[in-house]
Amino acid sequence: MIASGQRTGSKTPGSGWVWRTMNSLAGAAVFVAPLLALVAIWAIVVPLFEVNPRIFPSVASVADAAADSIRDGSLIRHIGASLLRVGLGTLIGVVTAVPLGIAMGVSPAVSSFLTPLFRFFSVLAGIAWIPIATLWFGYGFGAIVFVIFNAVFFVVAYNTLLGVSTIPMTIRNAAASLGARRWALLTEVLLPGALPNIVTGVRTGLGFAWRGLIAAEMIATNVGLGYMLFVARDFYRTEVIVLGMIVIGLLWLLIDRLLLVPLERATIERWGLVRRT
Amino acid sequence: MKTLSLRNLQKTYFDPYAGSQVTAVHDVSLDVEQGEFVSVVGPSGCGKTTILNMVAGFIPYSGGEILLDGAAVKGPGPDRGVVFQSFALFPWKTVLENVGFGPKMRGVPKADRDRIAREYLELAGLSHAADRYPNELSGGMQQRVGVVRALANNPAVLLMDEPFASVDAQTRMTLQEELTRIWQERKPTVIFITHDVAEAVFLANRVVVLSKGRVLDQIKVDLPRPRVWDHLMQDETFKRLSAQVLQMVRSA
Ligand SMILES: Nc1ncnc2c1ncn2[C@@H]1O[C@H](COP(=O)(O)OP(=O)(O)OP(=O)(O)O)[C@@H](O)[C@H]1O
Ligand SMILES: [Mg+2]
Repeated sequence: MIASGQRTGSKTPGSGWVWRTMNSLAGAAVFVAPLLALVAIWAIVVPLFEVNPRIFPSVASVADAAADSIRDGSLIRHIGASLLRVGLGTLIGVVTAVPLGIAMGVSPAVSSFLTPLFRFFSVLAGIAWIPIATLWFGYGFGAIVFVIFNAVFFVVAYNTLLGVSTIPMTIRNAAASLGARRWALLTEVLLPGALPNIVTGVRTGLGFAWRGLIAAEMIATNVGLGYMLFVARDFYRTEVIVLGMIVIGLLWLLIDRLLLVPLERATIERWGLVRRT
Repeated sequence: MKTLSLRNLQKTYFDPYAGSQVTAVHDVSLDVEQGEFVSVVGPSGCGKTTILNMVAGFIPYSGGEILLDGAAVKGPGPDRGVVFQSFALFPWKTVLENVGFGPKMRGVPKADRDRIAREYLELAGLSHAADRYPNELSGGMQQRVGVVRALANNPAVLLMDEPFASVDAQTRMTLQEELTRIWQERKPTVIFITHDVAEAVFLANRVVVLSKGRVLDQIKVDLPRPRVWDHLMQDETFKRLSAQVLQMVRSA
């Protein structure tokens, strides 16, 4: 379970930041290169085969569509609406799921009783709830946030439950024999001990949520990236559809790089608790 | 003055696979003096860990009683510090935070508990590792942290279950010497479980030999301190005592 964490102990002062900048630039290049290659192929193939723009747009027309929608502010509006929904739904999901998962994980009997239930719901989570969510909340913000919440909640609760039940008994005993009572046990042992699984849960849940969001926005609203794709389809605006798809993918990469990866680095990798599933 | 006493202690487990009761500890009585270092040896399965876990309060006992300074032991508590074979350090806390954990639970303010933790780390020669995480340390270093983490909480008794069993022989000898040095400095009351006879004799004032859930025999160890392997290895008394204990364990 405990993989030894690598530590590059080089603490070269002074010129250290130069190396770090170059390193991260090199990292970014490695990361961006395959994406650029894909764009290059696209730029060659579309004119070469004279693809009908109703089937697939050219690079230039997508770039134009991007410029237009940035200029008139519509792209930012769609992105803002989508991010707000995902952010809010995820926040509510995590904040409710983690305490519940821990509370349930404390008792082995309760956790084994609930595990199948949570597995069931974590598979069902997300878009399957769209129809009933629109009945409960009407079309719009509430229904979509609910779908996101749902996608995140069950996965995170299930993973938290799992995380708590995998904390070695000796660690809990150690805390108890050092004087930890209920509350301290919770905050000092159970929560950090379950964190690797919680992070896995958030990653999985956010992935579900992001897909669920796009689906829900196609059905249940009039603003957001999913809506943008769906409306463009009615007007055969493939360049807007492809633009939307690119934005959706890029945003996910950004969420991953700027939010999830640093979170994992600062905690579970540093602690040597890498538990990839 | 006696600190800890076990009176007719008994433990019966229910074995869910066999569907029957298994008696791991039949009838153990033992008194431990304040500041005494007691080693407990015995063949595998004789109930050493079971006894320690009952004293630590991790598992309930089925019969008899455990008294600490006259009061019955019930559940784990900071008056009984435990050092685990698997170290059981908190991976998400730095070495300093691990050692300061006990004081933190007592409500000692941060500056004070950091000072206490640093003092104990110094005692274990680990000052340089204060800000590292456990997974960045060798096994020997981790167990040094395990020992001072328990000590930093000033327990009435220190319970150790084969704490040096999972480090290499070299490191083990160093750790044993360090433990005797620390014991001399602080005089904690210690129950040290091992199945290494030489280790038991090297460390203790008294060795208790267990067999099948009972105390088979006890032997006083009056070797001079400080104890150092280079000296004791050739020491006639040490050899004689070790041979004696070994014979008891083998007849157990
Ligand atoms: N949780 C348990 N359930 C059932 N039986 C147990 C349990 N724990 C220990 N036993 C049994 O109790 C007996 C004593 O076990 P214990 O772990 O105390 O031995 P030990 O002296 O520490 O052995 P070792 O030197 O191998 O660590 C053994 O027969 C063991 O199988
Ligand atoms: Mg044992």
